[in-house]
Amino acid sequence: MQISFQHVSYIYNEGTPYEYQALNDVNLDIQEGKITAIIGQTGSGKSTLVQHLNALLLPKTGEIHILDRVIKASENPKQLKALRGDVGLVFQFPEYQLFEETVLKDVAFGPKNFNVSEKDAIKRAKEALQMVGIKEDSYEKSPLELSGGQKRRVAIAGILAMDPKVLVLDEPTAGLDPVGTKEMMQLFKKLNSDYNKTILIVTHDMEQVFKYCDNVVVMQDGSVKVHTSVDEFFRDAESCEELNILPPAVIRMKKMLNENGFHIEGEIKDITALAKAIAKEVKHG
Amino acid sequence: MGNITLGRYIPMDSPIHRMDPRAKIIAMLFVLIAIFFRAGWIGYGVIFVAVSIVIILAKLKPSFIWRAMKPMLFMLTFLLIINALVIKTGNVLFTIGSFSLYSDAVLSTLYIAVRLLLMIMITTCLTATTKPLDMTLGIEDLLKPFTKIKVPAHEIAMLISIALRFIPDLIEETQRIMKAQESRGVDLKEGKLKEKIMAILSLIVPLFVSAFQRAEDLANAMEARGYAPGEKRTRYRILKMHGRDYLLMFGALCILIGMIGIAKFL
Ligand SMILES: Nc1ncnc2c1ncn2[C@@H]1O[C@H](COP(=O)(O)OP(=O)(O)OP(=O)(O)O)[C@@H](O)[C@H]1O
Ligand SMILES: [Mg+2]
Repeated sequence: MQISFQHVSYIYNEGTPYEYQALNDVNLDIQEGKITAIIGQTGSGKSTLVQHLNALLLPKTGEIHILDRVIKASENPKQLKALRGDVGLVFQFPEYQLFEETVLKDVAFGPKNFNVSEKDAIKRAKEALQMVGIKEDSYEKSPLELSGGQKRRVAIAGILAMDPKVLVLDEPTAGLDPVGTKEMMQLFKKLNSDYNKTILIVTHDMEQVFKYCDNVVVMQDGSVKVHTSVDEFFRDAESCEELNILPPAVIRMKKMLNENGFHIEGEIKDITALAKAIAKEVKHG
Repeated sequence: MGNITLGRYIPMDSPIHRMDPRAKIIAMLFVLIAIFFRAGWIGYGVIFVAVSIVIILAKLKPSFIWRAMKPMLFMLTFLLIINALVIKTGNVLFTIGSFSLYSDAVLSTLYIAVRLLLMIMITTCLTATTKPLDMTLGIEDLLKPFTKIKVPAHEIAMLISIALRFIPDLIEETQRIMKAQESRGVDLKEGKLKEKIMAILSLIVPLFVSAFQRAEDLANAMEARGYAPGEKRTRYRILKMHGRDYLLMFGALCILIGMIGIAKFL
């Protein structure tokens, strides 16, 4: 099964002077069970695209196939609540959605909406909070007392507690510190490998794409410009630069070395692999 | 919810957009007051035609006005029901069981609907064609004579313009929070009473938090740039009245006098 967009277009504020076509005939097949990165400049339509996945936005034309369901312009939103449970969407800046008296209650709010019993919801909430690294002594605090990064974690936990099959994250690490960012990305990787969740991440960070993702989708002006595997995408630095994307440091390093007489071929995934390749070349002279 | 247009500025190049905000505000006040005289259908017809001309000159689409009117429909329906139950004069239009609908109930609702429509048309003429900043300048200038009796003209103008400025932001914010909560399974349309209350809470609490946050950010930003309400400030833009501005105010005054005339003598 795949998640597929077929000729999807979306227009904001249709019929007003503020009309804006944010998506333009998007065709896209996303593999299930993989981590897909969605990248592109600000305003290229990434957030608009991902909001179609759980039918928060309904396409003006075309349709979306996801988990045996079809979302199209005429779809009656009534049947879509189950879809919202299966496709968890974490918004850009999700910390603004916290409202309950305590952190624990807020995280349990999602599952409770999907008819999970109070007790199970609390249990799931605790698990989710642990996953995102919120300590137990914060469970009874008001979400408003937390720092920005902690709020972000709680908000993400709020979606994780719903145990969705597909997890969609809109810039989940923007504004987190480097350690927090790494922990988050490792968590998503783990959810993907251990629980076989399909994950879509909107991000501006090429290092993240390179290190954690399987596939990459490049959006430009409301259309899909490139859709390929991450390995393919970063194979040579030139194609990235054509798209105005700065490749990850390792790839840039590899390019610079090759421009200066080295012949490093094949997949270089991280700094260790690069170091080994250099050592090999140096040895062989 | 999707397209709230009430109070929104529509950037466009039209003679109405270029007019002096003070003239527009005064003209609006004249015509708004005129509506409150019981000038009958002829009077409202005249106002409607006059305002329509302004709307056409301002290049506003009728659909824009209609969308601003839409949220009021609920209120009007409610009013019609109450009127239908209370007003028992005029001709009987039809009878179901022991209930009869009288013509005056419908007429009186229609009367209010027309006034409401006119009011929305008139205020939209102002807000859609005047930049919030110009509006502030206009209000401030108009209130200036009252500073003698200790009316804080500048503060009031600033208050109004900030409020206007924040309407679209808050609407956007509401939509964003709605989407975020819908993603968590909140159903704002269906559900039992308890769920509904929870749904509304999940919307209102974050909205309040973010509104206060915004207010604080704005206050800090203004202070950081040295804004002090009591201080004397110079202005980059000086408003200047032209012939067409006087014409607009004169036209509005004529309407007001005309309506008083009709209400008194007809
Ligand atoms: N609610 C809205 N009303 C009107 N226009 C909108 C709305 N949301 C987004 N847009 C417009 O649609 C375009 C795409 O927006 P979108 O949020 O999808 O971009 P993005 O790729 O997520 O950007 P970023 O990286 O900044 O998050 C932008 O030009 C934006 O101005
Ligand atoms: Mg975005």
